[in-house]
Amino acid sequence: MKTKMEDLFLQSLDGPLTHEEKERLAQEMLGNHQFKKSADQYLQLREKLKRTEPDTFGPFFAERIVNKIKNMKQEIDYQIFFFFRKYQVALIGIVVALVALNIAFSDQLTLKSILGFEDQNQGDLVTIDFFQDLSN
Amino acid sequence: MAIESDENLIQNALAGDLLAFKKLVNRHEGKVAGVVRSMLGQTPEAEDVGQEVFIRFYEALGKFRGDSAVSTYLTRIAINLSLNELKRRKRRFFLFAGDDEGHQVAMKDDSHDLNEMLTLEFGKLDADFRTVATLRLVEGYSTEETAELLGIPMGTVMSRLARAQKKLKEGLSKYLKEQA
Repeated sequence: MKTKMEDLFLQSLDGPLTHEEKERLAQEMLGNHQFKKSADQYLQLREKLKRTEPDTFGPFFAERIVNKIKNMKQEIDYQIFFFFRKYQVALIGIVVALVALNIAFSDQLTLKSILGFEDQNQGDLVTIDFFQDLSN
Repeated sequence: MAIESDENLIQNALAGDLLAFKKLVNRHEGKVAGVVRSMLGQTPEAEDVGQEVFIRFYEALGKFRGDSAVSTYLTRIAINLSLNELKRRKRRFFLFAGDDEGHQVAMKDDSHDLNEMLTLEFGKLDADFRTVATLRLVEGYSTEETAELLGIPMGTVMSRLARAQKKLKEGLSKYLKEQA
């Protein structure tokens, strides 16, 4: 099959041809047995490629997808939990350290002192009078 | 009982109804399987890619505006993921040479019929040619639809189709002669 005519024939299968091209193709089909045979082979090839029945991924494909989606959702929940877990551990560590510091530095071991609410003596408090300092 | 439209099923799936999504999967499995198997052949990865197509679709449900039909949207995802898989396969082939070739050579036997040889030759086509041939020749999309799906000009689709068919005919000349 001459390449030009072959291209024209293939073009006719997937797109429009001009009136002139159609005539040239028809003439070649009538007069050239080899060309006709080759064209038939292309048609046979295309017929074989065409899907005749719907394909499938096998039984329970949809169920597998739905299960996967459910698992994905669970996984996301776990990820969120584990993402925040390190912050939770750090926070607990800080609280324990603060409580330990309070215990170490408090005079008396009461719940208030451990939690840092120890009453202060009025005499220990230092007051600063800014206005007085400024006027002096 | 009236058949629920894709749009209704999508709305229900968005509201958390997984049964509605399951109906969508059942409805479009054939189309996706056709595209993916045509692109990747009867391989174990084909189902993985098929699953990935629907998972991606599920994740993008909120963004789906219905500009195109669900089947077209899924076909586009299937083509993209299949192309990614082909690229991965090619990389694997370079790393572990002979991975696929052994399988192909084993099949290249005179006793095989036209259908088997066609599958084999189709698998040898370059990814670009295989994509247009899958959409136009296997799945039956028009040339315009194929061009739109792939985002390429119609002329490119037609030239790739012509080259794909020439390559296939060349590889199958012996078998086609026998049956023509």
